Amino acid sequence: MNADTLANILFASLRVMTPLLLAALAGLISQRVNLLNIALEGLMLFGAFFAVVFGAQFGSPWTGLLFSILLTTLITLIYAVAVVELRANLIVAGLAINTLAVGLTSYLLVVMFNARGAYSPAGLVSLPKLSIPLLADAPVLGKILSGHGVLVYLSWILAGLTSLFLYRMPAGIHLRAVGERPEAAETAGINLKAVQYLALLLGGVLCALAGAQLAIGDLTIFNNNMINGRGFIALAAVFFGAGKPGLTAVGCFVFGLFEILQFRLQTSTSIPPQLPQMLPYLIVVLTLTGISLQKALRKKRISV
Amino acid sequence: MQAEPSQLEPSSPIPSAVEPKTLSLPPLVSSILRSLFTLLIALWMGALVMWVSGKDPLQAYQALLTTSLGSRTAVANSLLAATPILFTAMAAAVAFRAGIFNVGAEGSLYLGGFAAAWVGFTFTDLPAWLIIPLSFLAAGLVGGLWCYFPAVLRSRLQVDELVTTILLNYVAILFTEYLVNGPFLVPGVANAMSPQIAPAARLPRLLPPSQLNASFLLALAAALAMIYLMTRSKLGYEIRMVGDNPQFARWSGIQVAGVIEKVMVIGGILGGLAGAGQVMGVHYRFIAGFSSGLAFTGMTVALLVRNSPVGALLAALLFGMLRSGSATMEIMTDVPRDLIRVLEATIIFFAAIEFGSLVWRRRRER
Repeated sequence: MNADTLANILFASLRVMTPLLLAALAGLISQRVNLLNIALEGLMLFGAFFAVVFGAQFGSPWTGLLFSILLTTLITLIYAVAVVELRANLIVAGLAINTLAVGLTSYLLVVMFNARGAYSPAGLVSLPKLSIPLLADAPVLGKILSGHGVLVYLSWILAGLTSLFLYRMPAGIHLRAVGERPEAAETAGINLKAVQYLALLLGGVLCALAGAQLAIGDLTIFNNNMINGRGFIALAAVFFGAGKPGLTAVGCFVFGLFEILQFRLQTSTSIPPQLPQMLPYLIVVLTLTGISLQKALRKKRISV
Repeated sequence: MQAEPSQLEPSSPIPSAVEPKTLSLPPLVSSILRSLFTLLIALWMGALVMWVSGKDPLQAYQALLTTSLGSRTAVANSLLAATPILFTAMAAAVAFRAGIFNVGAEGSLYLGGFAAAWVGFTFTDLPAWLIIPLSFLAAGLVGGLWCYFPAVLRSRLQVDELVTTILLNYVAILFTEYLVNGPFLVPGVANAMSPQIAPAARLPRLLPPSQLNASFLLALAAALAMIYLMTRSKLGYEIRMVGDNPQFARWSGIQVAGVIEKVMVIGGILGGLAGAGQVMGVHYRFIAGFSSGLAFTGMTVALLVRNSPVGALLAALLFGMLRSGSATMEIMTDVPRDLIRVLEATIIFFAAIEFGSLVWRRRRER
């Protein structure tokens, strides 16, 4: 394998890890307040749908992105009210959002565009790509790091900001306190509900970005099975990262890498495509198993 | 087996039997009323969606009703659509009762369906009385085994079963797609499908011209068996104990890990049988991607009836009606059949609110 191929693989991995990273950050923030966010999958689908529909409506991917954020957050609010206010079962409510996402987007596609399953509006362009000055001219690094879509870079910034938020900012520290010691946090005067709302709604914004990256980041297409388990893979990355943004990002990169590797296996060999396609899911399940195994072994060592 | 935590949790409440009741209706009546209420809200929500998008809800629901119950064939078709849902609803209900979210029935449905098809197109010389049970046996075995993996991960290592079963479903679907595109490809056919099963392996039709077939009877029998299991058997008692309070169940000497494994494997077996029923009763071959979210529909059913096995039986029939009617509704009234998913989402949502964190308390220690 030469340097060019390697650069291509890494470039593509960074691209496909972006929706995973954005969704994983959403999952991570809710995980930090002890809310397991099962709705990532559905919220991403909503994000993708709104981005394409409103992008096409107004002829600009930016309005698509804006409406995607607004409307996906609105839907997240329904989820948040159910979970925080009405004390709904988190997992079941998450499954409801996921079911609603598939149902409502499929329904609206038919009603609005007479399209079944997929919609690719003519004339809608994707979000712009950025060429980083100086870096773009660097020999190998330039090929890997420069020329990505705006949301790719935004996701890196957001990963950094999430870390900063959780460990350096009062709101983030409150958030962690609520997750780790709810009683103590409440005694200290932290508004539990407000923090839970904050965590879930931030997650909504991040899922909107994740969906938008899939729908209008490179191509401009909506497909009602385009998320394909990415919400759950992102959740697995959160488990892998044990709630830490940096490690979670590493997990997303590894899962992204396998997505690209399976794609290359499909195109460069005569192996039937379905076998490589299974690879990312199997890797995620194996990773989850590894984490739990490690945890179990550690527990044993302590108790012996 | 494992070193169990020594710190007892004094705050963990005793099972939910102490739930205060203000209204003293018989439990069966009140649970039926609650399910009907949820259903009404879902129908109202569906009407709202239709109204906002410029469709006529009354016309759509009328079409739904007549095309699912209007004639003998319509009823038969509703029962046909209810058949796989009966299996998956029971799979979900049994798992839920133990506090387990098992969506693996979808993967089992695919793999079991393929196993049945394989028996059907491989042992073509066998007589019907042998090949039909053999196909179902293969499907149940494969389906159960498929769910055994996530079950062990959950029971021994606490790996989240919802995430693993959802991800493994993709693996099962892709794998069967590979099988009918690769080793078992039928040349000259447009869609990816296996060869036809032997005529002897086809299940008899019950009410022609409808495709309703003997697998419906098997689904009914399976549902009755599950009702018996949940209400009368020792395992059922253990499942309820684990679902109410795993810690308490463990102290009472119940092998919690074993119960979790059994519950998930039962779900897998039921999923496998559902797939076999579709293959041997409807398609007569394995077709890639033939099920669309039947495990999730089963889960919706189980949620609608609060895991009551008897209720699941009735609600599965209702969802069969909705599914079978919605296709014709789409043609007659221009309302996309995806509306049914919106109804399902509403039902799941209200179940989530009603249960709150009471029933499926999950402790996720980091």
